[in-house]
Amino acid sequence: MNIAELLEKRRQGWVELEHMCDSLQSMQYPFANRGNQVSRFSALYRAACTDLAMADQYQLPPASVEYLHRLVGRAHSHLYRSRRFGADRWIRYLSKIAPQSIFQDPCVKVASVVFFGLFTLSAMIAWSELKFPGFPERILGKDQIKMMKDNFDKPLEGNFNQYVLMAGFYIKHNTSIGLQCFALGPLILPSLCALGYNAVVLGASFGYMARSDVEQGDVFFQFVTAHGAFELTAIALSAASGLRLGIGLFATGGLRRSESFRLNAERALPIILAAVVLFFLAAFTEGFISPSPLPYFVKACVAILSSGMLMYYFVVLGYPRPDTDRELENNEDNPWRKIGVDRATR
Amino acid sequence: MESYGTRRLLDCGLVNAQNSIDLTAVITTPENIQFEYRIAGPFRRLPAFFLDFVLRSVFVSAFFILMLLVGATAALPTGMIFFVIFLVSFAFDWFYGLFFESYWNGQTPGKWLTRIRVISVDGRPINAYQATVRNFLRLADFAPMVSFEVFSSDSPPVYAIPTFLVSLLCMTISPRFQRLGDLAAGTMVVVNQRSWVPANIKLEDTRVASLSELIPPNFRMTSTLAKAIALYAERRSRLSIGRRTELASHLSQPLLKQFGLLRDTSPDLLLCALYYREFVAKDTFSDVKRFAPTPSADSTNEPVNAIASDSLPPILKAPQ
Repeated sequence: MNIAELLEKRRQGWVELEHMCDSLQSMQYPFANRGNQVSRFSALYRAACTDLAMADQYQLPPASVEYLHRLVGRAHSHLYRSRRFGADRWIRYLSKIAPQSIFQDPCVKVASVVFFGLFTLSAMIAWSELKFPGFPERILGKDQIKMMKDNFDKPLEGNFNQYVLMAGFYIKHNTSIGLQCFALGPLILPSLCALGYNAVVLGASFGYMARSDVEQGDVFFQFVTAHGAFELTAIALSAASGLRLGIGLFATGGLRRSESFRLNAERALPIILAAVVLFFLAAFTEGFISPSPLPYFVKACVAILSSGMLMYYFVVLGYPRPDTDRELENNEDNPWRKIGVDRATR
Repeated sequence: MESYGTRRLLDCGLVNAQNSIDLTAVITTPENIQFEYRIAGPFRRLPAFFLDFVLRSVFVSAFFILMLLVGATAALPTGMIFFVIFLVSFAFDWFYGLFFESYWNGQTPGKWLTRIRVISVDGRPINAYQATVRNFLRLADFAPMVSFEVFSSDSPPVYAIPTFLVSLLCMTISPRFQRLGDLAAGTMVVVNQRSWVPANIKLEDTRVASLSELIPPNFRMTSTLAKAIALYAERRSRLSIGRRTELASHLSQPLLKQFGLLRDTSPDLLLCALYYREFVAKDTFSDVKRFAPTPSADSTNEPVNAIASDSLPPILKAPQ
């Protein structure tokens, strides 16, 4: 037998594998008799692998080798598909891994301290009219202050139409900003700027509105009370996730730089996902409860309830416990797992 | 001797020990087979990005118009309609790539049209986690953004035009043309092009067979020479006759001298004869049973091991 005949013989198997890949790709696979087809597919795949491995010994022409590389690659991507997560894995991730990894992340602590610290500081300065007279005007600008006053001039009222509209707008607008904070994390500065800017501007608005001579203050606080807890936490969290990503680029902890970046992206993901969920919750609260003429008591209850939920998830579930620590130590989903041989040397 | 620096470069894949061409990624499968993917560079990926962008914009605006029409005819509250529009445009902005890459095995419609695919660096298809990370980080790859003011000074200072400088820089440095999002997710983009089943080369010239008889029987070809001749035979049909002679004469002149053939033998003909002798006439595999039998189309119910080659060294055999 010569090489030309050998090629002719092998070609049938290759063409069949190619056809199987085609039908798998267009999802027209006949699912009856599936077991046989899977074993047939893997058999053909292994035969093609063998041909590729023996290409030198068979003295296959370069075009055939090139073709085989493509064919094996194609079949490989069909054979080794990623598996879907099971329900128990999701539950473990959401109830244990995510809160614990958010709680133990120093970036979250730093971002929260920076955000709430600057927020409080800015609010205090804006509030103390005697010591720092022109502060809110310089931070917010006269137009912005006038607009804010106009917005909260009338008592809150609204109809369902407006509520839904605004909820949709808040979801799109606020969540996009949060995700941008995460995405610009590798460049570090944009995330930090967004964090600082939001803290100072929000703080100044709160402080100004709390002044006793500003009449619109009552309506303002009626509006912001309900969704404040969700939204402020979400801002801090999204900046924290950006920070975590950026830090991975230079604080490598002994890993290769690219590997450290990859690992820190894994650590940042639960934080930004939590932030996205909070932005959604905040948008619905801000759309439906905040602008409604409900009594202040109800809105305060919503605020307390939402803060309680946040505390439960991030602190109670997130607080490190020896038994869960041991359980999660080597869990493959846990981004803070001990770095084994598989990750470090890949 | 291998210095630490070289080792690190080898680890990073910057120096590929096996082949110096850095456009391929070598994947080792669980079957212990190595195969290559061709990596897609920025100029293959940019059209895919623009196609996706256009498709997305067209869909979102079509949806917008449709919802407005629905709102005008059916008495739906306008708030509800805008809620849906906001939600859909938000989802398309941030979850388009994520959705398609995790459900279409690493391809978005744009990638499908340009025949590229995202896979993990270890060769496995990407999962939802990797798709999330690489798509969320897209914005950093666009940076720095340029404002509309560059076109006319009247335009609002909206920084919305991506320059892709970060991703280009990142692709230049990284070993597999990875952008920032790819580095964070551990993925790479490979060419998913189909290539045609290679056909045996037909040599119509009847003189080829007779010339191949004249080549001394004790002449043995090295494998590199065989490869070069096979490459030439594959491509000669696309070359002009003058070009064929020019290319072939480099190899044919010393060979003609060695074989003691006439100096004015056509160089093209000689290489064809060598090809014929090596790939068509030569009985390379005298013992057919030593090689893997071809799986035939009707043997669907056969057990798997009927196909596995028994001539393979043990390491190449897949675990049964």
